Amino acid sequence: MKVVKNEEKRNIGRAKEPHKSEISEMKGKEQLFEVDRRSVYKCVQCGTCRSVCPVFNVVGWESANTRGRMLIIKSLLEGRPPSEDVLPSLASCTTCGICAAKCPAGVNPPDVVEAARAQLVKCGITTESQEKLRTSVITSGNSFGETKDRLGWISKPERSKLPEKSDYVYFVGCFDSYRYPEFAKKTFQVLQRFGVTLLPDEQCCASPLLRTGFREDAEKVMKRNLEQIRKVGAHTIITSCAGCYTTLKNNYPEELHVISLPEFLAEHLEELRLKRLDLTVTYHDPCHLGRHNKIYEAPRKVIQAICTLKEMKNIKEDSRCCGGGGGVRIGYPDISLGLARSRLEDVPEGVDYIVTSCPLCVRNLRDAGGDIEVIDIVELVAMAIES
Amino acid sequence: MDITAELRKIVGVRLSVSPSELYCYSSDASQVKGMPDYIVRPKSADEVSRIVKLAYENNIPVTARGAGTGLAGGAVPVRGGIVLDMSGMNRILEFDIDNIQVVVEPGIVQDSLNEALKPYGFFFPPNPGSSAMCTIGGMIAYNASGMRCVKYGTTRNYVRDLEVVLADGTIIHTGSKMLKSAAGYDLTQLIIGSEGTLGIVTKASLKVAPLPKTRKLVIASFENAEIAGKAVVKTFSNGIIPSACEILDRVSLQVLKRYDPELVLPSEGDVLLFEVDGTENSAREAAEQIMEVCSPLALSIKLAESQKEMADIWAARKLVGAAVSRLDPSKTRIYVGEDVGVPIKRIPELLRRAQEISEQFNLPAMKYGHIGDGNLHLALFIDVLNKDEWDRLNRAVDLIHRTAIELGGTVSSEHGIGAARAKYMEAQWGPALEVMRAIKKVLDPKGILNPGKLGL
Repeated sequence: MKVVKNEEKRNIGRAKEPHKSEISEMKGKEQLFEVDRRSVYKCVQCGTCRSVCPVFNVVGWESANTRGRMLIIKSLLEGRPPSEDVLPSLASCTTCGICAAKCPAGVNPPDVVEAARAQLVKCGITTESQEKLRTSVITSGNSFGETKDRLGWISKPERSKLPEKSDYVYFVGCFDSYRYPEFAKKTFQVLQRFGVTLLPDEQCCASPLLRTGFREDAEKVMKRNLEQIRKVGAHTIITSCAGCYTTLKNNYPEELHVISLPEFLAEHLEELRLKRLDLTVTYHDPCHLGRHNKIYEAPRKVIQAICTLKEMKNIKEDSRCCGGGGGVRIGYPDISLGLARSRLEDVPEGVDYIVTSCPLCVRNLRDAGGDIEVIDIVELVAMAIES
Repeated sequence: MDITAELRKIVGVRLSVSPSELYCYSSDASQVKGMPDYIVRPKSADEVSRIVKLAYENNIPVTARGAGTGLAGGAVPVRGGIVLDMSGMNRILEFDIDNIQVVVEPGIVQDSLNEALKPYGFFFPPNPGSSAMCTIGGMIAYNASGMRCVKYGTTRNYVRDLEVVLADGTIIHTGSKMLKSAAGYDLTQLIIGSEGTLGIVTKASLKVAPLPKTRKLVIASFENAEIAGKAVVKTFSNGIIPSACEILDRVSLQVLKRYDPELVLPSEGDVLLFEVDGTENSAREAAEQIMEVCSPLALSIKLAESQKEMADIWAARKLVGAAVSRLDPSKTRIYVGEDVGVPIKRIPELLRRAQEISEQFNLPAMKYGHIGDGNLHLALFIDVLNKDEWDRLNRAVDLIHRTAIELGGTVSSEHGIGAARAKYMEAQWGPALEVMRAIKKVLDPKGILNPGKLGL
């Protein structure tokens, strides 16, 4: 199986690794470091991204903003030997994509950064945390290196009743499987009535590997998931993790119909018979659900069916990153928390909960402290079903 | 002397000599490149003073930098040395609304300042296209302006006082909070536009203006840019002063529509955008007058129907310069020859000559800009992987600069000279350039402040 790269699937001005023949044509011999030059040279260095890059906002050095990263990648393309010196810049991007949303020239920096990371991996230049993450995923099938049963959150009797064939698969993800089993349980309870099943030996979706440049390793993990999905015969994969969602949707073969939990819930509001709750909540758009895949309305529709929604200061395309993605939470915890704290400043007054639809966002925003509880959208739905 | 250790004593961890970091500070949005040796991010005038003093004593070049959005290489350390990243000094120190001014550090971003001034009912009018990211310090260094300067003037018209670190580290003030002063040379005006070659600005008192009650936008299209230029001349000669007067030629329109297909813009011709502001009545009256004056020359003319329609057009206009890749992904806009200006009466001629040059060198171009003050942003775009296109570009740009001078204009209206246009200073200024060189010599005898700029 060939990993379908984001850029190929979305197909508009994306970064990609050129074929060897193209490289030879460009430079006469194969280079150590190569990403699609057009995607890099489209950048006019205007600095629009500098004004929105959340990592730069915390760090303050030019190398920590998108323009800086593009410049560093350009320098590598132009022959500067890749070295560990580039890692604090290239490994600290959360791939939140606000730069891509704002770039007047239409550059997609997260794709360029991911392509560059893949090249660095090939050159053997990685961070310790990147390697740790890789080892976890390839040895244990999850990003935490957990050796426990991935389906430990579901009881044995329930497990034995899982249908072997189904139109729908609930892809649980590493976070809900190991860190938020209560989210997994609640999600499964909601989805069970629609005949959903689980993969018997679900593996990490490969998002952490793809985001941090381990494309070859990712292929193997994805292959194992894909074989199981085909065996179950499902036409639709439902996932409640934004990272899993964007990976399944944009990196797995196109045959998969992938749907996020908020979309599924929004489509089945009537059947869910949700009760109205006397609550006011706000909603944090996860970058990989919102900006990367434009799923803005579905979660809002679900929330508004249950309670009052009071929006954050920056929403939808302008939403600010929680700091968790792109390997930054593991690699640069201080920066990651800085982003989360900054995001909490966008929370409006007078809300009971911060709702989001990604367990990584839940985790990072919770770790940043704050007075208002951060919950996953499935918890809100569960409250509305239970009440 | 171990300069790294000395700098570290002053700024601690806000010093970097990492090759990747140095590379990120080796350019701005222009084509000028220069590798620094040290990057420091000072937090106070005292730190700046100590750094400059150290540089002075050791003959090390010092280049100040804001957000690095400049288009002439002004913030690029072409002779190496220390780059002072001033963007961390970004506080608003005082809202002195009773004196109609605000005191800021140079690193504050223009839009952030205006956001903060809004609740007071005031704004800082100079508004470059890069207002979302450019810093006030950079605007002062290059006398930046933007779309509304046709009515409100340039940065120069809003600075009351500057705190400046001189080449030997001495800190001076150039003015006061007074509206006027008849006491000696106007050092404030000398520093504005000096591109960091005479001193480093560490604080500024800025005059602010009351926000207008309303703004209206007239959108008119014309058969060609030259006729549009004539409509502008006619509008001004009828005594109407719009708050912005912009031209977007047909290529710019295509780019904008690609950027945002929802934009309400004419589908044919070259377009003029006239903004008028004031009270509801005065703005309406001015808009009607413009429509009356321009109608006989226009293919179409209309008033923007809503504030949103207007805001969307302005937001897109601000980004047009970089958006050309959306029309053709193999082309990149190169910021060279992009800022010429001529006396307003000669605008139609400049537009015609620019078109001819673009055709002569077979280079596609967008023509847009602040036509109301004679400032044309000619955007030439090329395939950056094609050497022949680079050669043609450089020849075309040289001709554009010389044309502007020939028409009695300037090679830079608002982006500055930096290193990119330094070679035209002699042609534009003649013996006056010697006066500038003499001033530089007195204030910076060792030539450590932003060397290699302004043709000095």
